[in-house]
Amino acid sequence: MKKKLKKVLKDFWYGKPHGERRLGDLYIGNTGLYKHREWRGVKDTFYYFNKIWLYNYGGILMDIMRFGGPIIAVKGLLRYRWFGQTYLTALHWFDRGLEGMRGEVLRASAWHYRAMTCETIRQFMHMFRADTRLHGGKKNKWYYKTIMHDETVCGSVFYGYRDRMENIAMQLVPYFVTCHVNNHTVLHYIDAVQSIGLPGDPCPMCQAEAGLLVLDDVPDYSPVMITSNEACDASVATSVLHDWFLNKPLISMTQPMRFNDPLVHEYTMNEIKEAWKFIEEQMGEKPDFDVYVEYTEKYNELTKFEHEKWDVAANTPYYPINGVAQALYRIYYSQVGYREIWAKTDAKVKKILNKCVEQKINTFPMTRHRVLAWSCAPLYFSNWCTWAYNCWGLNVIMNMDSLMFDIVLRTDNEEDALFDLARYHEMAPMRRMAVGGHEHIFEIWENLERFNCDMVMMYDQLQCKGMQGIVGLFEDEFRERNIHAIWMPHALPDKRTVSRAEIRSIINDYMFTVMREEPLDPSLLDFDDIMSW
Amino acid sequence: MRDLKHLIFFDDLLQEANNELVRQAKKEGLRALGYTCYFMPEVLLDLPGCFSVRLRAPRCTSPDVATYYMSGRTCHYGRSLLERALEGGYNFLDAQMATETCTVTCRFQEHLQIMPIIENPDFFCEFTDVPFKKSENGREHYAKQLQAHVLDKLSEKFGIDTSDEAILKAIEQHNEVCRLVTEIGSYRKLDNPTITGHEFSTIMLVSLVCPKHLILPYLRETAEEMKKREPDKKPNWRVKVMVTGSENDDPGFIELIESCGALVVADRFCYGSLPGREEIEVKEGERPLEAVVRHYLDTGQCPRYMEQHEIRGRKQYLAELAKEYKVDGIIVESNKFCEYWSYERVANSLILPRDFNIPVCSIEKEYINTSVGQLRTRFQAFVESIELKKIQEGA
Repeated sequence: MKKKLKKVLKDFWYGKPHGERRLGDLYIGNTGLYKHREWRGVKDTFYYFNKIWLYNYGGILMDIMRFGGPIIAVKGLLRYRWFGQTYLTALHWFDRGLEGMRGEVLRASAWHYRAMTCETIRQFMHMFRADTRLHGGKKNKWYYKTIMHDETVCGSVFYGYRDRMENIAMQLVPYFVTCHVNNHTVLHYIDAVQSIGLPGDPCPMCQAEAGLLVLDDVPDYSPVMITSNEACDASVATSVLHDWFLNKPLISMTQPMRFNDPLVHEYTMNEIKEAWKFIEEQMGEKPDFDVYVEYTEKYNELTKFEHEKWDVAANTPYYPINGVAQALYRIYYSQVGYREIWAKTDAKVKKILNKCVEQKINTFPMTRHRVLAWSCAPLYFSNWCTWAYNCWGLNVIMNMDSLMFDIVLRTDNEEDALFDLARYHEMAPMRRMAVGGHEHIFEIWENLERFNCDMVMMYDQLQCKGMQGIVGLFEDEFRERNIHAIWMPHALPDKRTVSRAEIRSIINDYMFTVMREEPLDPSLLDFDDIMSW
Repeated sequence: MRDLKHLIFFDDLLQEANNELVRQAKKEGLRALGYTCYFMPEVLLDLPGCFSVRLRAPRCTSPDVATYYMSGRTCHYGRSLLERALEGGYNFLDAQMATETCTVTCRFQEHLQIMPIIENPDFFCEFTDVPFKKSENGREHYAKQLQAHVLDKLSEKFGIDTSDEAILKAIEQHNEVCRLVTEIGSYRKLDNPTITGHEFSTIMLVSLVCPKHLILPYLRETAEEMKKREPDKKPNWRVKVMVTGSENDDPGFIELIESCGALVVADRFCYGSLPGREEIEVKEGERPLEAVVRHYLDTGQCPRYMEQHEIRGRKQYLAELAKEYKVDGIIVESNKFCEYWSYERVANSLILPRDFNIPVCSIEKEYINTSVGQLRTRFQAFVESIELKKIQEGA
């Protein structure tokens, strides 16, 4: 009895240890929503409530005030479906990604989520501030000082304008971010573009992007559009719809496909110059090299810290960032480019990382397998890695998208700077591995060794022609190298093609039948969250 | 109309990639160079000492092994090519001159690079990067790429003469082929055309898949024959259409459309002649390679061109062709899983009727002519709708 009481008190104080938890019991049947929050022990529960839940709600309100005020936010809320459907679900997004996390992992991962939330608010508030639709058709000063671009055109291209102008990716917030926060939002856009005759098989991300245009659900916040051929055929093809629906001056800043070829970089450099010339012609502004250097050097600090993080992740068990926070934060900041919030976040995370290393804190103590996630991930279930660790002890150490943009950019002179910027841009998300030759996608083998992983979670994006076109060679190599690989079918933002429950079921089957392992938390094996955000 | 003398022979040549004329050229000691895309200039592969073969996989209905390698969710064309390669159908190739101009054909060609599929010890596969714009930057880039990855490679691996004189000679031969095919195709512009779409498609295809010097005599003879060919007194077609869209190397598909009463008089699709059979002009002071670069970039109408005026110009180009060939409607097709043409098809099927008042039939198809019944119903309905429109307009 005394022992039992001691255990109850211990569980109350520290939270139940991993292996005894039943996180699945927290869900309301058929919804994936929580009956109540998870008890993580006194310290972590209070940390979560104060420093994550309350702090972020406060932060959201503060950010809205800071970046334009409540009136414009409410106008946007009423005008744009993607905003209306996601502002209330934001904290549930935190809950899903941070489920079961404790101690330093909880803290470091939550800072990443906070940074992404802040940057998202900054972006949509700026779009609303410049949006002619929310200002009775009037083109205000913000409109004329904002460059609209494809989300696959990286922010670093516009560093030279950062002292005078703003650049905002057209689709990043409206469907890419919102899909993570509320996976129902994007379905409407996919249906919209299919309703005008597009077949269902092209990349659903591009479909969602095109659907935004079909439904006229993109703020009109810039006189121009800069588009790109990244990352695939569907991205190229979507430009046709950009032109048609936006009907404004548009330039494509294209890149070579075979970017290993030393002959191609000049082409990319000239394409960047052409985009700058276009901005000058249309908006009357030239990039300033000193400003470019200032931002690039700040950004380089982020990259250097990223390398430090990878080093810890690869060689120690002390890495305090969970798989979903690592993946989303890295792709977000590297694509958007330098912003103050990333530097602040990295400073906080650095302290946590140093603490973990110095004190040798085993951050994921129940790790059974170190997993490398490869190819493109399901947006509607990016938190699968949180689930996989809680349920099976599968710890996602690194993912393919995080390894993009892996260059410290030179700033010593304009020519070198432009060369590096071109190289950087050539290695954008999805391009870095997916195009330019099979050797890139097969960098998986080096990275398995580099990050000391013993298992691969092979994302099987059913509508990605580049990945589908090479599946057999992966199968052959997995067999040849005797690597455990789980193929995870999905359709990026479209959960209707392969649901989250089906994804879990595939992983469960592999773990039971091939690995012959038992779950750490059986309550998480099977639950219906089809209606969940 | 009287049958064309060589049509059955042409048809036989299309039954397999390693056809009679290809075998003959190989016996002559010429190097066979495969390619898949218009952006790999065939004229550079037809330099003295080698010849081009644009790859097809006729009659490949079930690419089972290729589906293991490339899954069932990629374009049937790419998979069929791989299947044919795995069957040994391309073992005659000495090289594959590849482009990453669409994802699936790129992946197919990468399989040729990675796996020991082609049983030819000399075989190699070399990729050329192709720009997405017709700009000056695009031209310079394309020229550098063709020099390094086509001309230099051919010279290095097979000792092919890639001098300006050799290129000029290849251009001369190429231009004769283009002149003849264009002349034969021009009979499609007549009010009562003296050539069917199926016949023209067959002739166009043989000009792509056979060694030029061996097919030329047949083309010359056919062009002569066409001069005297009389049309049927009573046309057996009800409307004239243009076909535009993604890869189509199956004359059977054109035949299917024509069996529904729609004569195909213009072919704006990959493996078609619009564009594809324009002569290369070498301007004064211009190097032959520069002329080739300019020609292929400028004539291309591929949806991978991303400049704003090109995106819009493609619709205008179709409208102009429609006028020139006096078509009553346009069939816009895309192969299943072809991303470029899925989007382009949507845009075409909405913009062409709205802005140019041209009726459009939008269809999705497989590489090999399947679902014939469904397609026939669509084409018949399209023909009827055009006829009804004509009646309503009092034509």
